[in-house]
Amino acid sequence: MAQRIVVDPITRIEGHLRIEVEVANGKVTNAWSCSTLFRGLEIILKGRDPRDAWLFTQRACGVCTYVHGLASIRCVDHAVGVTIPDNARLIRNLLMGAQFLHDHIVHFYHLHALDWVDVVSALKADPVKASKIANDVSPAPKNGPGDFKAVQARLKKFVDSGQLGLFANGYWGHPAYKLPPEVNLIAAAHYLEALRQQARTARMHAIFGAKNPHLQSLVVGGVSCAADLNPDRISEFLYLWKETMAFVNNVYIPDLLAVAGFYKDWGSIGGTTNFLCYGEFPQSAKEPESLFFPRGAIFKRNLAKVENVDPAKITEHVKHSWYEGDGALNPAQGETKPKYSKLDTNGEYSWMKAPRYNGEPMEVGPLARVLVAYAKGHEPTKKAVDGVLKKLAIPKEALFSTLGRTAARAIETQIIGEAMEGWIMQLVENLKKGDTKTFEPYQMPDSAQGMGLNDVPRGALGHWIEIKEKKIANYQLVVPSTWNLGPRCAANKPGPVEEALIGTPVADPKRPVEILRTVHSFDPCIACGVHVIDPQSNQVYKFRVV
Amino acid sequence: MKPQRILVLGVGNVLLKDEGLGVHLVHRLQASYEFSDNVELLDGGTLGLRLLDPITQADHVIVIDAVQNGAEPGTIHKISAEVLSKKVAFKNSIHQLDLVETLAYAEVLGRRPTCVILGIEPLDIAPWGTSLTPPVAAKVEALEALVLEEIHQAGGSWALKAGESPEACEAKGYVFGDSGGNHRH
Repeated sequence: MAQRIVVDPITRIEGHLRIEVEVANGKVTNAWSCSTLFRGLEIILKGRDPRDAWLFTQRACGVCTYVHGLASIRCVDHAVGVTIPDNARLIRNLLMGAQFLHDHIVHFYHLHALDWVDVVSALKADPVKASKIANDVSPAPKNGPGDFKAVQARLKKFVDSGQLGLFANGYWGHPAYKLPPEVNLIAAAHYLEALRQQARTARMHAIFGAKNPHLQSLVVGGVSCAADLNPDRISEFLYLWKETMAFVNNVYIPDLLAVAGFYKDWGSIGGTTNFLCYGEFPQSAKEPESLFFPRGAIFKRNLAKVENVDPAKITEHVKHSWYEGDGALNPAQGETKPKYSKLDTNGEYSWMKAPRYNGEPMEVGPLARVLVAYAKGHEPTKKAVDGVLKKLAIPKEALFSTLGRTAARAIETQIIGEAMEGWIMQLVENLKKGDTKTFEPYQMPDSAQGMGLNDVPRGALGHWIEIKEKKIANYQLVVPSTWNLGPRCAANKPGPVEEALIGTPVADPKRPVEILRTVHSFDPCIACGVHVIDPQSNQVYKFRVV
Repeated sequence: MKPQRILVLGVGNVLLKDEGLGVHLVHRLQASYEFSDNVELLDGGTLGLRLLDPITQADHVIVIDAVQNGAEPGTIHKISAEVLSKKVAFKNSIHQLDLVETLAYAEVLGRRPTCVILGIEPLDIAPWGTSLTPPVAAKVEALEALVLEEIHQAGGSWALKAGESPEACEAKGYVFGDSGGNHRH
């Protein structure tokens, strides 16, 4: 008989994402992704100065501050018709690249690894054996038996104190965990190492960002950090970049391969059908032609044909969402008219709209980017993907899966990281030639429409603006998590996460670690982090949607 | 002895009315006062792990935040983070971090600073609004005095900037400014 499981919350922010699944004979047969947090940021932007929109959008999310800032700036760049100088483009790319490096390292180690790595099992590991395995995989520092012993002692302290702290409430000992104790120990050691590294990588933003965490250096028409374009700042950036890339190449990629080797069955679980990528990292003023990661759409997993993207084919459906009406609108004409009823998986069940491209649900994010680039013959992507497939001895079809999604994230981290070196050098060359221009003047038109298409760590991000009398008349955001985690559409087609969950094995409905694996592989981010501290109820997050 | 490094960390979401208290107050302090070299002020927004770097570099962290404790809106709260982390049950998912977890990460790294939380009971944290509600706004000055006292106790000092007063700075608007923005060109 079918059984319903509700996983709530999926993210730590209470009430933001709730996944409901139906399980029969040990497998998921149906799934509903419900975002229970209203995010009508659009409403607050109306009537404001278009140049200020980014200051608000970068506050919309607790993680993706820069990307929402940049998306808004690009959208207004487009509306006012300004072409930004080369240096501004390079700096924006470098800041975006730094965002990818940071976010993906944190995702793999701190948001996703514990779905695959059993920390408690690491206590049983033999540190000498662990050291040997680690050295065989990669010549990273801190691979000695003493290093692993020290990590084990630290973990044991947490376990013995009865307070696992960050590792509390994991599904430790669950039969779905397949790593030997030594590999668990290596991964746990690198979890700590990644914690240190991410803190340093985050500093890259402060160099050209004037300020981390909320950058101040973006401006419509370019960037405003001209004063930071000096040899000292650039070499500081280069130094942090080198350090981060050493971690990616010697720790992240080898760990991905080592862990994936034990979970090859996940190469046939958690896949979706269609993929959309807006593309990212413009190499010149010509878009989309010059985008480093190409723009494109793939349907029915057909890698032989990548379609061009026509933004007019994007619609947002609200039939199963808590908004007025049943229509499907293009974001340029989008509406945000909330109307909460009740959570009913047969009716309305999410605050997210359901974005569709040409009527189809589309997965966005690392896997979509890597598949589109791979199918279009993007050399660095082809080389990296073929290398990973060969090392894991899995077929190309295994990319359409939870394993493929997690692997794609690591692959693109390396590809983007390597490309960043070229951008840094271009910047240096420009400055040597005396080209220090970072801003292009423009006139704010009385009325205009603009669109900013970006591909950010979590996927395709679009901002749309309508300007009237030099003020914001309408503003719409279609964010990656809405594409991936949105509900069913007017045609009742499930969203990507809903589709991906179907067929997922669930060994123990009370401890559904398998569901977390697939949901977390999308790197869900439901934005609008709320920070109120509530000592009474022992809950840190408290947020009620009224 | 070297003075201890003090981080004044304002957290919260400035788009959600009283939720933005911590960030508003940090901007107000930055605009009105000069602090001694061992004091750093940071607008932490709603970020988690990105705050680990500044947190682990500090010896003492003064967090300013909205604190929901079932009291009258406008009530000032002072909580030691040590007490808070014992009471908080960690939830079993692995995404997004809050302050308490970020402190736990700092502990894992062996670099957990001491921490105190100063805040005000919010009236309204529902979307959307960029200013504080009247009962909370009325207590900002008192909270500011508490924060300054806490900085003093921890070994930091400050002086009012020439020609500035907190009220005058307040009128300028902190996070979004008067025109609402940052037009440098």
